[in-house]
Amino acid sequence: MTSTTAITAQECAAQLANIAGEAHTEVAGETVSVAPLDAAQISQILRFADANAISVTPFGSGTKAGWGNPVAPGIRLSLNRRNSLREHPWQDMTCTVEAGCTWASMQAELAQHGQMVALDPLWPERATVGGIVATNDSGALRLKYGGLRDLIIGMTIVLPDGTIAKTGGKVVKNVAGYDLHKLMTGSFGTLGVITEVNFRLHPAETDARTWTATAPDALQFAEPLRILLDSQMTPSSIQLRAGKLQSALDVRIATRPEAFDEQAARLRKILGQIELSDSVNEVWQARQRLFDHEDRVILKASMLSSDICSVSSELQHLAAKQEFEFDLTAQATGLMTVSLNIPADAVPRLLDQLRSRLRTSGGSVIALRIPESIRAGLDVWGCDSNALALMREIKRRFDPNRTLNPGRFVGNI
Amino acid sequence: MLPQSHIDELRSAVGADGLITGESQLQTYECDGLTNFRVLPGAVVLPRSAAQVQAVVRVCARHKIPFVSRGAGTGLSGGALPAAGGVVISLARMNRILEVDIANRYVVVEPGVINAHVTARVAPQGYFYAPDPSSQSVCTIGGNVAENSGGAHCLKYGFTVTHTLGLEVVLPNGEIVQLGSPTLDAPGYDLTGVFVGSEGTLGVATKVILRIVKRPEVVQTLLAAFDSPHAAGQTVSDIIAAGMLPSALEIMDALAIEAAEAAVHANYPVCGGLLLVELDGPSSEVEALMSEARAICSKNGAQQVRVAQSDQERALVWKGRKAAFAAMGRISPNYIVQDGVIPRTALPSVLSEIDRMASAAGLRVANVFHAGDGNLHPLVLYDRAIAGQEELALDLSYRILHLCVDNGGSITGEHGVGKEKQEALGYMFSEPDLATMQLVRCAFDPENIANPDKVFPRTRLCAAEIPGPYTPHPLETAGIAEIF
Repeated sequence: MTSTTAITAQECAAQLANIAGEAHTEVAGETVSVAPLDAAQISQILRFADANAISVTPFGSGTKAGWGNPVAPGIRLSLNRRNSLREHPWQDMTCTVEAGCTWASMQAELAQHGQMVALDPLWPERATVGGIVATNDSGALRLKYGGLRDLIIGMTIVLPDGTIAKTGGKVVKNVAGYDLHKLMTGSFGTLGVITEVNFRLHPAETDARTWTATAPDALQFAEPLRILLDSQMTPSSIQLRAGKLQSALDVRIATRPEAFDEQAARLRKILGQIELSDSVNEVWQARQRLFDHEDRVILKASMLSSDICSVSSELQHLAAKQEFEFDLTAQATGLMTVSLNIPADAVPRLLDQLRSRLRTSGGSVIALRIPESIRAGLDVWGCDSNALALMREIKRRFDPNRTLNPGRFVGNI
Repeated sequence: MLPQSHIDELRSAVGADGLITGESQLQTYECDGLTNFRVLPGAVVLPRSAAQVQAVVRVCARHKIPFVSRGAGTGLSGGALPAAGGVVISLARMNRILEVDIANRYVVVEPGVINAHVTARVAPQGYFYAPDPSSQSVCTIGGNVAENSGGAHCLKYGFTVTHTLGLEVVLPNGEIVQLGSPTLDAPGYDLTGVFVGSEGTLGVATKVILRIVKRPEVVQTLLAAFDSPHAAGQTVSDIIAAGMLPSALEIMDALAIEAAEAAVHANYPVCGGLLLVELDGPSSEVEALMSEARAICSKNGAQQVRVAQSDQERALVWKGRKAAFAAMGRISPNYIVQDGVIPRTALPSVLSEIDRMASAAGLRVANVFHAGDGNLHPLVLYDRAIAGQEELALDLSYRILHLCVDNGGSITGEHGVGKEKQEALGYMFSEPDLATMQLVRCAFDPENIANPDKVFPRTRLCAAEIPGPYTPHPLETAGIAEIF
């Protein structure tokens, strides 16, 4: 429990056990974990925490628990008993899923009708719908299908005062009222607890192929990528991979089987001298693999798509000069994930360099994973928005007592 | 009426040529496309820059004068209806396209730019701006942002929000903020996503960053004539079930076809239910899908299936569809345009129920709908000259909205809530839902001066509004729906 809290962890656990049951309440050091059964119990827990100044961290499976600023221990509100696909009216191509459901188990059920939520987030086997939505994760499919803001059509949330509210609905086209689900998406659990999400669905990509081209310097892909994005081809995903000494460009196209040969021929023409070969689905795991080395620094950089090759190439040259290792993936949407093997004391300077490189075109860099030794004094978010005061006011209206994930988000929201 | 001192302040904000106070000129602004609501504003200002908008909003904030921003006034829910004695901020003069970045597929525009002009500007490079409300030749991007406008092609391409990357906004206290950017996932809350569709209640957009899309290689439009809209509706479900995502799937019933033919001679087949299927993409893909779509139409008993043979023919097909609302004037003295959404699978039963309700009320209802996404536009036909018929028609149109909600849908797919559907919003959402939305409103506009008394069922004050614990929705109590 935090220092502002008069109540002990044991007292807190006893209260939570009254709500969710002893079997679903657990004390671990200063943190009390509780796994409520339904929205009504979540509402009760939040009211209790809010009234007693205990911070609450909504929790799925913890795959991204280290993202953002650390939160003082309090209640860990687990959604793992809210883990089912509630509805799948497949002919309407929508679904309603509970926040604690893992991405992969949801997709497996949707696949029974040849459908999917068109998003490829990190660690689908473990990551939950609620956590993916709260962190606004997205992968390479975003190029064709958009991000979560384009796929979520409704949501049920619980506010710190216990209010259970729904937003949006179960139809794709709907402009009634404010889209609170857009506000909740990517809010890192600082405004409310997401308990259910309604998605629009797409047909699964049953016929899809991937091609890969390789070259030493990422800059060699700049012109082919520009031409490809300016073409009338419609790839699902385009990904640049780069390390210190080599680069690759992956292109995935989903179409009717009879159209593949013609699409491949076009792709070859665009790549010109650079050799293109048939590739495997595994290349799309590259972003996730960047996280495998636990000692590496991980950055998420957002930039214009026309910058991804030049920024990657600049990193290659810097790495050669300063003798560090790195790997990155960059989607053609301009979202790049970089994994760096550099000394802790070199991180702030590199972060500053990247941020000032990208800021002029509206870009940003978020430090997803950094050594604990440099966390103090480092701004992991790098938010220079002039709307920060407005964001703080939204937080104050939703969570006046700063109960939900206090300090985790931009500007210590 | 505004006091002279406030008028003077507004004049110094926008200059004498940017201020309208004469009553006859003010009447131009007393309503939008929903003409049965009319309110005379106290003044209209026509700013030329974000700085002038800011100066106007500061005057309004200082004196707590309600303001309503306005684009071309084509909205169909009364969103641009003035507040009595308030200020209308017309963005008509802020109509410049500021930046075009083809390599990164975005443009930056001022809010008064006309929707179709964005496409016109980027067409030479082979791009287009996807949202295409029927009013696109006159409506403005600022209005589209306020309403989160859709159009026939949003089935595949999405809505205004899908294509809005960022905004510059003058907040109701006069501050200017930048929301979003040409790059994705800027750190912080997605305030761009919240602002789009907020119907002018959160501030005034003075700059909009829009995504543009490469024109597809091939576009093909198929017309299929069925005995009834039901058969056409079943075909829509089958096309979707086959895994296709056409760019548009539209249905018109016999009345709508008759009206459109009378208005623009679109050369539609005479039938009970006309289905338009538009497919676009790489030519090899479209060819394969088109033959599949034709087969599905034939299987469902289409009497006639033809593909528009030229760009001119395709343009004519769409001209008829987009003129369908206005064309109702050819077959009825008066009509009400409605805008409801239902899950696609509820189409047959809801259409039957609308028929039944119309017969019981002794009125005709024409149906034009974006069938692919379940967005109905029932047009309730009536004659104002017949005593009591307007009230009957209004009542029927609202009951149709309730029917949409009862079937798990929405009271508006693209026209917005505005003035027209405030009460209906209270049918769709429960008190805690509305109170939570109000938290956002109060964060942006604590003084409640930005387009007040719109969208929400009743005027709410920020300070006093505290959302309470969950209370069940009436539909939930009645066992009709679960919370979602």
